[in-house]
Amino acid sequence: MAFFVARRLLYLLPVLIAVSLLTFSIASLLPGDLAYTILGDQATPENVAALRAEMGLDQPIWWRYISWLGNVLQGDFGRSFRTGQTVLQAVAERLPVSIELMLLAQLGALAIGVPLAIVCAARSGSAFDRFMTGSAFGMLSVPTFLSAILLIYLFAVELRWLPATGYVPFGEDPLANLRFFVLPSLTLALAEWPGIMRVLRSDMIATLQEDYIALAKAKGLKPARILFVHALKPSSLTLVTITGINIGRLIGGAVIVETIFALPGLGRLLIGAILTRDLIILQGVVLLVGAGFVLMNFVVDLLYAVLDPRIRHGHA
Amino acid sequence: MKAGIRSSSLARIFLVAGFSVALSAMPANAQKAGGNITVGLELDIPGFDPLKVGVYDTAALTASSALFDTLTTLDASGKPQPKLALSWSHSEDFKTWTFKLRPGVKFHDGTPFNAEAFKANFDRQKDPANKCRCAFYISNVNNIQAPDELTVVFNLNDPSVNWPSLNSYANQNAAVHSPTAWKAKGDEYNRNPVGTGPYILKSWTAGDRMILEKNPDYWDKDKVYFDRITLKPLPDAQSRFASLQSGEVDLVWDDETSADNIQKAQKDPKLTVHTYAGSGAAVYALNTKTPPFDDVRVRQALVMALDRKKMSQAITNGLSRPASNPYGDGSWVKCKDDGALPEDLEKAKALIKDYGKPVEFKMLVTATPRGRTVGQVLQQLWKRAGANMEIEQVDQATIPPRAFMRQFQLTPWRIVDTADPDIQMYANFKTGSPVALANYSNPELDKLLEHARNTPDTAQRIDDYCAISRLINKEAIWFWTFQNTYYAISTAKVKGLPKMYSGVIDVSRAWKE
Repeated sequence: MAFFVARRLLYLLPVLIAVSLLTFSIASLLPGDLAYTILGDQATPENVAALRAEMGLDQPIWWRYISWLGNVLQGDFGRSFRTGQTVLQAVAERLPVSIELMLLAQLGALAIGVPLAIVCAARSGSAFDRFMTGSAFGMLSVPTFLSAILLIYLFAVELRWLPATGYVPFGEDPLANLRFFVLPSLTLALAEWPGIMRVLRSDMIATLQEDYIALAKAKGLKPARILFVHALKPSSLTLVTITGINIGRLIGGAVIVETIFALPGLGRLLIGAILTRDLIILQGVVLLVGAGFVLMNFVVDLLYAVLDPRIRHGHA
Repeated sequence: MKAGIRSSSLARIFLVAGFSVALSAMPANAQKAGGNITVGLELDIPGFDPLKVGVYDTAALTASSALFDTLTTLDASGKPQPKLALSWSHSEDFKTWTFKLRPGVKFHDGTPFNAEAFKANFDRQKDPANKCRCAFYISNVNNIQAPDELTVVFNLNDPSVNWPSLNSYANQNAAVHSPTAWKAKGDEYNRNPVGTGPYILKSWTAGDRMILEKNPDYWDKDKVYFDRITLKPLPDAQSRFASLQSGEVDLVWDDETSADNIQKAQKDPKLTVHTYAGSGAAVYALNTKTPPFDDVRVRQALVMALDRKKMSQAITNGLSRPASNPYGDGSWVKCKDDGALPEDLEKAKALIKDYGKPVEFKMLVTATPRGRTVGQVLQQLWKRAGANMEIEQVDQATIPPRAFMRQFQLTPWRIVDTADPDIQMYANFKTGSPVALANYSNPELDKLLEHARNTPDTAQRIDDYCAISRLINKEAIWFWTFQNTYYAISTAKVKGLPKMYSGVIDVSRAWKE
């Protein structure tokens, strides 16, 4: 197992370097000069030149990348020229919101998707199964900005059960905090459950045709026990992958959802940085999110090994 | 005991008398003290230190008008009234302005407000070592002197007839900060602002809520009603409006891009749409040094081919108000004849035919849905007249540098709402000015601009500005499409919102019924 982890960690290195390279070049190749952005409309060419020299913008791009990477490796991601905050401060303020949103959305999606998948697999081909697979397909094609607005109109404007926008920190008032998270996480969950449901359903149908399930049935085990104990774990390998990938997708989807529901998370920080050309924050956040995504997939890889011993030993 | 009864009944008489006086003095809307207001703004506020943020946006301005005071304020008729300054006077040439300050005012941290503190604010912005983007907007001020505790003297480079009106809202330059606070807090000052205003910053969660509480020691506290103001950034127009409908917020910022919400609110008796028809306009500059715009016929043809009503329908559901001059309905400059060219497609076609060569050019367009729509509508309008416009989509941030370096043929621009047209007109049209984007020079225009700037008499200035409008319209070096209109939507209970000069939503003196 230790060897497996070490090997995976080694693979991680080139991926992380690629992420940092991409992040840096995206921020550097954006149109518009950072010196102009900072100095504003009235910038004189001399001021611009002086500031470019001060910020090292007159250096060749590879040199700027190396020195930026050097700073990052020492934990210095830079400081926003607009708010004076460091990248790490800004991310630390926003991260809890995004993580809570992601977890609640993922839980919601699993809570909807997994039971439906099991029921559909158990009765595959039935009217219920056909209806659910159809609706899952329909739900997949509803964009989050549409479902978000529909949910707001139904639950906030018409029924007035839940707030349309806003946020309270969990530490301040846990119940109010959860109330604010219901609609945003439901919006994301509605986009995520169909994938979970369809993958788990088909994997389970395959598993249920295995010989050992037939044996379990012959032994007279209860159907529920067969489904949850014997069939679920071996069928959930793809589910784990999907869940891992979804975390990345949720970070992307969260940009829209955080904006609509006015949640102060990483997505909003990112949008704000783009709109105000706060390149230091932009490249810092993208790098951290990218690295987080890569690490998440690393964890998923490890989970495979836990679920399926064959992978651990390198035979799969 | 007896004495007690007598004094209390005496007190009651006084109370009653006082009450009836108050009743008779009360306006139709009784101001009610107390309560809270929650305001939904468009953007996250980046902070308040002018050295850091450079320019305050609309969201920051709503907060800064509660946190800070300025020398003057504009009343409902647009005249400057005392705020931190009690009175003012000027030299004959309008280049020296002297303000007498209000005594006894303190910043929220206890630092006394005086001429030294005011001068320290200005010097900090002006200091070249600080490289403040905000310095551009005070380039006309050569220096500020503080001859005594309560006197501030502005020495201007160019005359300014309406100088007090130009220091009337809490923008990055006019808001007065506590020098002790910015020195003590350094980098952290940006998010911990300290002013003299009617509200004090209580707490601020990044990207979420900013809570302001009434300043108990405010010099004008009787005219401040809410105990607390909560400001929330709600970036999405639909959910911002939904939050207003569901009662989570009392007032929201809005603009013409969400015309459907404004029109919905206008029909809803539970909501009030606050509108301010400001001065200025959305404008476009033609680079007259590049063909085909070196020929006046082409320029005139493009302006005549416009159909502002149709454009307004297509872009904002008809909300946008057409502009025929750079001043607009909100300005005190009213012209009998502003020299606007007629919207006449046939004449436009004839002019282009007369020009004889194919008319092809590129226009800068901001790469936003709104920018693209405007670009496409203009493209279609001009196509009908026989001119081919190619849209060049660029990022918002690249337009100013491109414009200043004259790397464009046709660029969008904006004349913002200000109390006096001088600053922007002079910058936009005086020969040699960095913002004279048309690259156009005309001695007559220069003479008019100089005269308007140096004349105290309003009637004469109006004449000058109308002559300027006629000249620019005739030469068609710039054109104007729509006037600036500013919007806020609130529940019908919110009263006392002042005019939104320069688009600023100031809730610091509003109240709820």
